[in-house]
Order: sequence, then structure tokens, then C-alpha cells
Amino acid sequence: MDPKPAVLAAVLLAPAFLLLALIVVYPVGRLIWTSLFELNLTSGLPAEFTGISNYVLVVQDPVFWQTLTNTAVITVVTVPGALVAGMVLALIANLPFRRPWPVRLALLVPWAMPLAFTGLISAWFFNSQYGVVNDLLRRIGLPQPIWFNSAVLSMAAICLTIIWKASSFVAMILFAGLQTIPRELYEAADVDGAGRLRQFWSVTVPLLRPAIVVAMIFRTITALQTFDIPFTMTRGGPGNTTRTLAMYIYQNTVSFLDLGYSSTLAVVMFLISMAVSVVYLRQIRATT
Amino acid sequence: MPPGLRLICLALVLALPARADTVLKVYVSGQIATPVFRKALDRFEAANPGTHVQIEVGGATSEEQAQYLNTVLSAGDSSLDAFLLDIVRPAQFAAAKWVTPMNSAIGDPKQFMKQYLPEYAKADTVKGEVVALPAFADAMFLYYRKDLLDKYHLQPPKTWDELATQVKTILAGEHDPTLEGVSFQAKAIEGAVCTFLLPYWSMGNSLEQDGHLTFDREAATKALTMWVNLVKQGVAPKNVAEIATDDTRKDFQAGKAIFAVLWAYGWADFQGPDSAVRGKVGVAVLPAMTGGRSVSCLGGWQWGASAYSKHKPEAVKLVKFMSTPDISKLLAVDASLLPVFPSLYHDPEVLKADPWFADALAVVQTARTRPVTPLYNQVSEIIRTTVNAVLAGTQTPEQGAAQMGAQLRRVLH
Repeated sequence: MDPKPAVLAAVLLAPAFLLLALIVVYPVGRLIWTSLFELNLTSGLPAEFTGISNYVLVVQDPVFWQTLTNTAVITVVTVPGALVAGMVLALIANLPFRRPWPVRLALLVPWAMPLAFTGLISAWFFNSQYGVVNDLLRRIGLPQPIWFNSAVLSMAAICLTIIWKASSFVAMILFAGLQTIPRELYEAADVDGAGRLRQFWSVTVPLLRPAIVVAMIFRTITALQTFDIPFTMTRGGPGNTTRTLAMYIYQNTVSFLDLGYSSTLAVVMFLISMAVSVVYLRQIRATT
Repeated sequence: MPPGLRLICLALVLALPARADTVLKVYVSGQIATPVFRKALDRFEAANPGTHVQIEVGGATSEEQAQYLNTVLSAGDSSLDAFLLDIVRPAQFAAAKWVTPMNSAIGDPKQFMKQYLPEYAKADTVKGEVVALPAFADAMFLYYRKDLLDKYHLQPPKTWDELATQVKTILAGEHDPTLEGVSFQAKAIEGAVCTFLLPYWSMGNSLEQDGHLTFDREAATKALTMWVNLVKQGVAPKNVAEIATDDTRKDFQAGKAIFAVLWAYGWADFQGPDSAVRGKVGVAVLPAMTGGRSVSCLGGWQWGASAYSKHKPEAVKLVKFMSTPDISKLLAVDASLLPVFPSLYHDPEVLKADPWFADALAVVQTARTRPVTPLYNQVSEIIRTTVNAVLAGTQTPEQGAAQMGAQLRRVLH
């Protein structure tokens, strides 16, 4: 007595569905539900259902817009930045070295560093008094700015750090992609008289496109969630000029204990991440 | 039962105390040495047979410590019975109902709280209910280089203007490019809140009264302008927006600053074996704004009993015990922690261990508490980001004060 295919399918899918429900659907559902309440632990009052009023507050909140803009700037600068840097690293690693492993190991190092470490180390790098960056600038006779006194320079320091850190991850994905491109294609291009640059744009880039898209999806989503590096480098300063949306959510949750409002901010961030992912997934579907 | 398991069971039974003893767990922050607390708690155990107290240490800074407690207590966890709280927390913890109210355990609350320095009574009483008891005091001091001031025949400055003039005199005479005038904190940390409040309070202003905002924008502009001018005149370092509490300590200890605005903990380090300024340091009340009076920023830690404790009566008893003159004296003599009882500042044993406490009382008595409100973290965030932005130069004092006022109005009405 065989079960009907539909029943069998349901039974076989049930564990996966339950697992997903437990780790994705429930927390997200709970988050959205909490965002509809006024719930601040320091008020000593019970949660009060207030509908969308938290969302209205978000729209009216200047700090929200500032942190959103900062997050957008970090994303727009560091995603292409890490892509270019990662591409250069991947191309270097792909050169025919006699001993490839030291190069590949070096590629892994920034990726293996914890984010908070990276932030703390760069905070010292860019410190105006003791930092190695200003020391180098002094040696080559350039002016030494006080990085964290300026909104633009603080942001630049953060973006440089993120690019350094993320380029290693991008490079690994691209390097894997590069290794799948057959050598014969380059030999054929050589025969046709194509130069190195022409080979890069006409052979490497088109064949690497799926790897590039995958790297960009991961990088964009992590860029939208940027927290550790600015948190440890500038704490969002000067003023709020380098505070990201994730830092603002953290602050409202952990420091202000305003669970209703921080849930609302988290829902907004979730929607933004979803929207970006959908755009990219369309892109992937178009390429394959 | 296999013999191995039988042995384990036996060991467990033997390990259990003969009577059903009470075990209390207290949480202290990592920046204070625990041996002195152990000593104090041993005294409590001796006075209360059958009660044992364990210490849990965590959080090197006030913020890290608060984050841990926030997590434990918002989950309603009963694993902690009592904890040390930074001066700015009792109001917040009381509003969240995380601490056990203590009025019923101390008789007349007003009378009971009179024994402490008055500002602690204020910080630990919320709507007539005592919610925590003072453990030890702290305040911001003006540390100065006694040797340099003596060399130029100067007395510790009474106003910030006078401080600026003194710094210029000394810098002009010393020709030392690494020497700075005054180190204070403008990184966006808790210390930056005090940085703003010191000159603001000095002009007789307050930020809040009974939960209502009493922000004076003009005074706030003046306070911020005072600091910015110190930087512009070269009296304070240009990178002051990078400076956190311990950076001030390090700079002064290395002999790089003539003056430092810092908490009491600096003293022990300045007199330590690897200090460049050992024996060359004086401590004074903080300068005032011209025409104002000297004010300091009150720090210090409080004992609170957890509302989720399974041994509330014992926890309250412990808190009361830890907030007695005997324990305050022990903390002063053994760990140089400032007493919360005014009389102890004249105690011969205390003064023998910490001679500088004779000068400290005057500072502690001028100290005011930061706003007592459950929304303190929001207030703190607004002030520290503004101080940071203004001293980094991304905002003018006028813009900073206006923004601070507007944001504070959203939090305190």
C-alpha cells in the first residue's frame, strides 16, 4: 500500500519546513509583531499595541535617515571597492607560481581576522598621534590629518578598512571562478592576436560573471549590515556621521532597551536587504 | 549502578553542605580589584552563618557591565542576587523593576539616607523609594603637575580662563613640543557627558528637574564654546575628540599633560612605580566658569538587590551590610576607593592609607549627579555625540547646543 505521491512529498518536506519555520519564520514573524507595540523595558509599562505608529516615528526620525545614508555610502563605496581590490588579488593568486600555497594563504589572512579586531587595529592605524598611517604621511612629507575629527576622513578610514577586510573574501570567490576558465581560451585569444587587456575584458570578465554576481550579493548584504568596524573604530563619531543602521538598531535595543522601536528599525533593514537580494537574484537568473 | 557512577554520586552527596545553606551570587564590574570585595563578603559570611556569597566578575567598563545585566535581567534570570551599579543606573533599573525596593528594610528612608553624601541619597531614591545603597564614591578631579605650577609660582586655577593663562605661561617657559595643556575626554563615551556638564552646571544650570527638561541653550552654547576655545588656543590637544578616559590617564601619567580632568582611579596610577609624574601630582577642585562656582561630576557605585533573586531577604541584608561605614572604610584602606560617608574622610586610618583623601572631600562635596531618569542612556547618548561632534569641529557650539536641546526635548518633556 503505497502512500499517494502528494502525501509522501508532504511527509518528506515536513522536517525541512519545520526547521525553517523554527529558525526563520518564527523569529521574523515575532520581530514584525513586536514592531507593532510600544515596548520599552525602562518604562516599566506593559507592551501596548500601537499599530504602525513606530513606523511613523522611524520616518520622522532624523537619526534614522542619517544612519541609513551612512549605510548606503558604505555599501556604494565598499562593494565596488572590494570587488576591484579582490579582482586584483585573485588575478595575482592565479598567476602560475611555483609554490602556490603561500600566496593563497596570504589571500586568506584578512578574511580570517575577526571584524572587531580589524576595527580596533585600524583605529590605532588611523590614530592621529600614534598611528602608522600618519607616520607614513609624515615620512613622505604630506600633511597628517586628524582622521577622526572629520566626518569625511572618518568615513574614508572606515571604508578603506572594510575594503581591505572584504577584498580577501571576494578574491577567494573570484579565484575559484578563475580556475574554472580553460587555458585554451587564452591560447586561442593569443593566436588571434588579443593583448592582455583585451583577453581580460573579452575572456575573463564574461566567464567570471556568475562568480562576480555571487560575490556582490554576499558583499552587498554584509555591507548593509555593517556594524563591527565602525563600532570599534569611531563608535559612530564624530557626532552621528559614521553611525550605521545596524549600530542604531543595536543602540536602541541594548542601550535604550526600546524593543518596540528597535524591532521596527530591524524590520526596515530586513525589507531593504530583501529588496536588494531580489534584484540580484533576478540578475543571476538573467545570466544563467 | 556501575561503580564509577556510584562513586560520583557519593562525591556529590559529600560535597553538599550539611544544612540547606543559602548561596548568594553577587556581580561586580571588572575594573575594581575583587580581593577587597572577597574580604568584605567574608565578613558578611562570618556574621551570617549558613550564608555563602559567590562573586561573579564581568564587564571592564560601566557600559559592558550594564549590557550584561540588561541581558540577564530582561530575561528575568534569577542567577544573580545582588550587583554593583554605576551611579547613573538605579533610576533605570527601578523603572524596569529589576531591583528590590528597600524602604521596608531600612526604616525611615530619609533618615537612613542622611548618613551618606547627600548626592547619593538623591541618585538612589526614586519616587521616595530607596532602590540601591552606595558602595563607594567617585568624582572628577583636576589633577595638576605640582612641580610645574610651583616652578612658575602658580596656584591651582579657580576658573577655566585662569587655567588657559597658566598653561600658556608654562608652555612658553618649557619649550617642550610634546607637552600638552589639559587633557579631557571628548570621544563619544560616558566621560564626554561629564565634559559637557562640568561647565554647564558651573553656571548654575541644571538639565532636568523631577523628570522635566530644564535645558538652557545659551548656557549649553557657552559651555561647549569654553572647551572649543581651549582647543583653539592650543591649551587642549587638537585630537581631543579621540580621547577616552584612560587616554587622559596615560597622557598625564607619561608626563605629557600639565592638567587632567579625571576620575579618582588616576591617583594610584600616577603614584605608581612606572609613573613619570610620581610625587609631582596635586589634586584640586575643578575650575569654574568665570563668575560661576566649581562643580564636579559624581561617579561611584551602588549595591542593588535583584528583583528576581530567590533569596530576596538575604540579598537585601547583604546590600545593607555592604553599605555600612565599616565596609566603606575597608574599601578605602585596602583599595583606595573613596568613602560614601563624609566622616570617613577625616578618619586617621583612612588618611594614613590615602593622605590625598583630605583634599578629595572638597571635590566630592561639589559633585552633582547626572540626570536621575530611567531614560538616562538616551540622554547620555545625545550629550556625548554632541560633545564629540563639536570638539571634532564638525558642528559649531551653537549648532551643537540647538541640536542637543531639540533631541533632549524628544526624550524628557
